[in-house]
Parts: sequence; structure tokens; C-alpha cells
Amino acid sequence: MKKLFIFFILLIFNLFAKIDLVTLPSREKVQLTIYNSADLTLVRDERILTLKKGENSLQFSWANTLIDPTSLELIPKQDITSINISQLIFPPRVNELGIWKIDSKISKKIPFEISYFTSGISWEAFYIGTLSSDEKSMELKVYVKVINNSGEDYENASVRLVVGKINLLEMIKDLARRFPPYGTPGIITPAPMVYEEKAEMVRAAKILLAEAKGKEIIKEGVSEYFLYTIEGKENLPNKWIKRLLSFSQKDIPVEYFYKYEEERYGKSVRRFIKFANDQIHKLGKEPLPDGLIKIFKYINKEGNLSYIGSDRTKYIPIGEKVELDLGESKELKIDIKLMDTKTKNYMFNKDGNISGWEEEKIYKIKITNYKNLPVKVEIKRNFPHQYWKIEVDKNIQWEKYDLVSVKFTLNLSSLETREFTYKINLFEGDRRY
Amino acid sequence: MKKVFIFLLSIFSLSIARTKLVALPEREISYIRFDAPNTAFVEEERTLTLQKGINQVDFSWKGVNIDQDSITLTFITNPDKLKLINLSYPPEGNSLVWEIYSPEGGEEKIRISYLLSNIDCIYTYKIVVDKNEENINFSSYLIIRNFSGEDFEKGIFTPEFGKTFETSTKNEETKQILIYQKDGIKFEKIFVFDASKMIWDPERVKENVGIPVYFEIKNLKESGLGEFPLLTGKTRMFQIDKSDSFIFLGEDNLKYTPIGDSFRLYFGDSRDIIVKQKKMKETRINVRKNNLGNIVLYDTDEVIRIEIENFRDRPAKIEILENIPDEWDMEESTHKYEKIDSNNIKFVIDLKPKSKEIVEFHYHRRNLRKKEIVNFSSPIKGEIIETLPFKGE
Repeated sequence: MKKLFIFFILLIFNLFAKIDLVTLPSREKVQLTIYNSADLTLVRDERILTLKKGENSLQFSWANTLIDPTSLELIPKQDITSINISQLIFPPRVNELGIWKIDSKISKKIPFEISYFTSGISWEAFYIGTLSSDEKSMELKVYVKVINNSGEDYENASVRLVVGKINLLEMIKDLARRFPPYGTPGIITPAPMVYEEKAEMVRAAKILLAEAKGKEIIKEGVSEYFLYTIEGKENLPNKWIKRLLSFSQKDIPVEYFYKYEEERYGKSVRRFIKFANDQIHKLGKEPLPDGLIKIFKYINKEGNLSYIGSDRTKYIPIGEKVELDLGESKELKIDIKLMDTKTKNYMFNKDGNISGWEEEKIYKIKITNYKNLPVKVEIKRNFPHQYWKIEVDKNIQWEKYDLVSVKFTLNLSSLETREFTYKINLFEGDRRY
Repeated sequence: MKKVFIFLLSIFSLSIARTKLVALPEREISYIRFDAPNTAFVEEERTLTLQKGINQVDFSWKGVNIDQDSITLTFITNPDKLKLINLSYPPEGNSLVWEIYSPEGGEEKIRISYLLSNIDCIYTYKIVVDKNEENINFSSYLIIRNFSGEDFEKGIFTPEFGKTFETSTKNEETKQILIYQKDGIKFEKIFVFDASKMIWDPERVKENVGIPVYFEIKNLKESGLGEFPLLTGKTRMFQIDKSDSFIFLGEDNLKYTPIGDSFRLYFGDSRDIIVKQKKMKETRINVRKNNLGNIVLYDTDEVIRIEIENFRDRPAKIEILENIPDEWDMEESTHKYEKIDSNNIKFVIDLKPKSKEIVEFHYHRRNLRKKEIVNFSSPIKGEIIETLPFKGE
């Protein structure tokens, strides 16, 4: 149902009558540029207006919409030098109405573009990844979902989606509600910042998936953002969600591995998938927008799947690597035991009090792989401070990750159990210097 | 809506009671100046038909907020002959009475000026960056917000800066006027990583970590501006895309910029530049103890490593802001830096497309006395690790 009405009334003044002509031009073209980091859509609406020589007034009203009146702009698409749009007036005590003063040197039909910001339309990306049974490659499908909750049906609209975080000083929704449009002198009307509503709005929308097939999505970078232009025209009825396949790629080589870090994940093992948005991984043509990714895995030759897990990916630039956290796994068990602790090398000050010492701790790490596939595991250990020394069993690959942590990397074959120990010496007090 | 009234009463003889003669001379022209916030300075011109002798002029207002003490009367046509002999405020308030002595009868032009509240003007700006990111089209709009209670049919408006123009304004009307537009403005795009405010290791957080991007524009003739100071106002930024349509880049407040100064506008974040900062070393050196063996003075030896990666296919200029507390000496640095003040330094790095740059600097903090709180990674919550207090101290 159409709830949003935009009227165009062209008023031409002459010497004798105040109103000479009223026209209601229909919408010629409409382009929606939808943002995902803010509740904002840039609408460019093209209409043909019949101008008379002299002063013309164009009245534009937008009752019951979420249009930000401070964003309204009228741009002639031809005869630019003959047309001067000098003023936009928001008349006294009339809400949701503006009048443009157009001085024209010619009498002619002119295409005009009216552009404005509205709230209520959003989009998001989501991914479906399907792993091969050996966990070495993945098929990735990238979808975009456009959610229209603006109250308006958009027919035959060109749809463009922007990936990127824009800076906004005020919410468009609040500007749409503010009257008068620019506030009043002396009174600062701070717009309440409500961020949660977008999520609610998405939930409230009817999940009616209209998956358009075979539509190409043209991608380009503009400034610091990425722009997706959906080929052709789309009908976006109010309350509908439209799903479109952005692209799909088979046989992306992936690394399936496990991580353990008590301070970050507790005492459980987490599983991860790693790949990069580059040519080696058969990707790298475009940045991947942030979105939810669901990972499945082929479990047999018949193509049956199992659900592995999901993660919310961050924006992935071209060339950057990706690590997806697929949650806790019971396929691997890691057991870390403190085997021995002692203090030594005490130092004493002049009063006979302790001024420094050394703590020596021996840890045993036992890793058991219950899978019938080989696995790679990264174990990170954090220390309380930067004054330490470590000794690790031979044949164990490790590295200093930063000032206060080390990372062990192990490869285990199917159903293997491995044990190793490391000794950490922590220097306390005067032993540090 | 007319709310300011003027009545002209002439008194023929001081001994005879007041007689109303002519009333309501129309306002001919008004000069409205926006010199102060929330207040306009109004100068209006009217023509009075004065009688020979003493004339009484009533000036009253209703529903408008006029600063009574700011009202002044100026004679335009015959300032030498006419005399203002008395000014009084009647007990009813919101009015005043002038007594004007005129040596002969006739029409006289006068100017009444006063301060009027609840009318002001604000500025907004629009920036459109061209397709190749070379130039900017800069537009400035003036928005008259008239909630003064008074209409001005013919007003000569003088904004705080910019050209004077004529327009009308009705009470409770908001009017947006394009006052300035210029093409071909030069600008620079600058990425800023501020280590004291931003996340050091983006891998450790779930959210997207972007690097703020700014446009820097000089208010100078060489840049295409420099004609007048720019007043504070909301600025919306757009860019033309490859299909000759445009996208909205973001908005920021333009801060007051006098001629010769430059301004920066933050429009959004780039996710195609990734900055990762780590502290690679922090130890105490030159430790001095008192007779009790307690540490009284020490220096530190610290190394900071910043990895900056440009995933874009265009070059980028990035500013890295670092804070070093207390006294310090720089030991060595892979890149040149500028000392902003005693505790802040700035690196300006020009990144090639698809490139990675590593900035590493090694410094000593000197003559420290307090127990140190060591920040190993980013200023985000939960990541500050305090060095353990030890028994000897």
C-alpha cells in the first residue's frame, strides 16, 4: 500500500492572478542509494516540470514520510544557465512542506532532479560458506538483502548499496521529525540518538524473500566507500525484503584450524577458518562487506550437509586475510597443567627484606585430536608482565607474539595425542633490572 | 503578521490636550544585521508627516521581543532642524513615546533601530567532490529562522560575513538561501590514526575498525576560497561516482575559519587502511635506589611498532598521532616525526597503493618516580595490564 505521497505543485505567478497553473508531474526515474552503517537512503527523484518565464514556485510536500527536509535539493538537468533556484522556503506553521523559488529565463519543459535523505530503508550482506569434506576448500555465496520499511513502495527503482561508515551528526529519522526543519533561534533541540531501532525495524519486516536470479551487481569504489549497483530496476514494496546474490565462488582454498587462549575464550578450543580476499583464494575482486556468515560442510558424496557454525565478519578489504570464529569445538581437547612451581634467587635489601626473586613454573600441555582429519592448533599463553624467559621442548614451533605473550603452533595427525612442556621464568622486584 | 506599530500624534499647543492626527506610517525598508547570536539588529525607515511644533510619536510592539533600551531614533532628512526633545516609556510597557520638535510641517524620513530577538541566521555548507577526487564544488547556504513575531516585507539582510542581499521573511518562516557557490576548490584527503583514542589491534575486536578520513581545505585564494571567513555550520559532503550520479560521503561541522586558516571535515572511516600498533619493549633502566633499597628513580626503554597497510589502489596520506607521557628522549625512529607539544608527536606517512609501511620508534622515558601502569596494547577496556606490585617496593 502506498502511504507516502509526494505532491509537486507548480505555481506560476503573473500580474493578474496569483496561481496560474498547477501541475502534478509523475516520477520519471528514481534512484535509491542505501547505506548500511546508518539509517539513511539518498533518494534521487527525476520529474519533468513545465516552467514559465519569470518567477515560478514549486511546492513539495512529504506528509507521513521520514524525509529530512534539510537535505532537500532541486537540481535542473538542462538549461542550467537559464534557471536559478535561489531559495527554499519552509512557510510558517505548515509542516512537511517546502516551496522552491525558481527564476527562469525560458518557458520550457525541464527535467529536474529532487534529491533528499530518507530513513527506513536498509541493507545488509550475508554469506553462506560450504566446506568440502576434507575441510580444504570452500564454496562461498555472498548475498545482499534490501529491507524496505520506509512506508513507501518504490517501483522501478535503481538500487545502489553503499558499504562504509559515514559520519553523521544527527539521525535522519530525528531530522525528519523536527519542526521547524532547522529548529528555532536560541533553542537547541538535541535530537535523541536511538540506535537500536534499526534492528527492531528489521525484525518487524515481513521476511518475504524475493530472490532475484541472474541479476548482475556492478561494484565500484567511490571515495572511501564501496558501491554496489544492482543491474536494472527493482520493485521494492513496503515491508518486503529482497535478497540478491552478489556473487559466488567455488573451490576457495581455506585453512581450517583451532585456537586456544584462556584469557580470550576460556578453557575451550575454538575452531576457525582462514582465507584471504585475494587472487590466490580466487577472490580479491571486491571488498567483502560485513555480515553474518553461516558455514556448512559436505559430509558425504550425496551432498548432505552439516552445519558447522556462524560468525559475523568484519569488512574485508581486497588483499586482507579473514579469520572466522566458528565457535567452540569438541573435536579437540587441550589440557594445560601446572606441573611445578618454585621461587628462587631471592634478593634482600639493607633491612633484610625481600627486594627481588624469580618464579619458575613448568606447564604441561596435552592436545588430543578426536577427528579423523589432521588438524592445526594455535595455543596462546599470556604472562602477567614483560619480565620473563621461556624454555620450550625441542621440536615445538613457537614465537613471541608480543611483549607479554607467546604462541605455540602444532600440527596433529588424525586421532593423535601430543604432549609438551615449557618452563617460564618470571622475574620479580629487583630481579627485573 | 504585523506586531510593531507606530503612531504619530501631533500636539499643537502645550496647553491643549493631545490630539491624534496621523497614524501608522508604513515601514519602507528594513536593514537587518545578524551580528550577535539569536538577535538581529534592525534598522527600519519610515516617513512621518510632522506638524509644525511638537509632535508625539508612539512606538509600540506586541508579541515581539524588542530590547526596549536599544531603541534609537535618527532623523534622516533634516537632522539639523528636527529635535528630539523627550523620550518616555508609558506605564503599560512595550511602547515608548518620542516628542519631536519640528520648526515647520512636512514629510520627514526617520530611522528607528532596535535589537530584535528570536530571529537569526545559521549557515550550512555542501561539498561535492568530483569523480577523480581533484576538486571540490563548495556551496554555502544561509538559513534565516524568523520566529521574532514580525514579518519583514522588504528586508536588506547583512549576515555576519558575506554579501548583503534583499529578501522578505514572514514570522515563523524558515528560508534557505544559496549565498555562495564555487567550483574548482583544492583539497587534501587525510587519514588519521590517533593512538591515544583508537584501537591498537583491530584483530582483537569484533567490530569494524576504520581509520577516520578528513578533507582539509585552506581558506585561501590559492585553494579557490579565501574571500571571507567561514562561519560554523553543518557541512554535507558528496562525491560524483563513475556513473555520474553521486553518493553521500558524510557530514561534519565546519568550524569557524578565518581567511588564511584551514579547516578539516571528518566524513567517514576508511576500512581499506589498517593500522596495527604494538608495544614491543618496555623495561626499566637506570634504576636508582635509596638507602632502604627502594626504587626512587628510573628510566624506561620502550619500543612502539606500527604497521600501516594500504589495501586501496590509490596512494594515501596518513597522520599517526602518538602520545608519550612524562619526560622523554627519542632514541631512534624509522620515520621523521613532528613534535606537536611536549607529549605528542606526529608522523606523516605517504603510503603507495597496495603497500605496507612499518613505523618503529624507540624512546626512553626519563626520571620516573611513580609506580608505573603499563599499557601493553590498546586503550580499550579489559586490556590494560598493570605490572604486579612486588614485595620489595
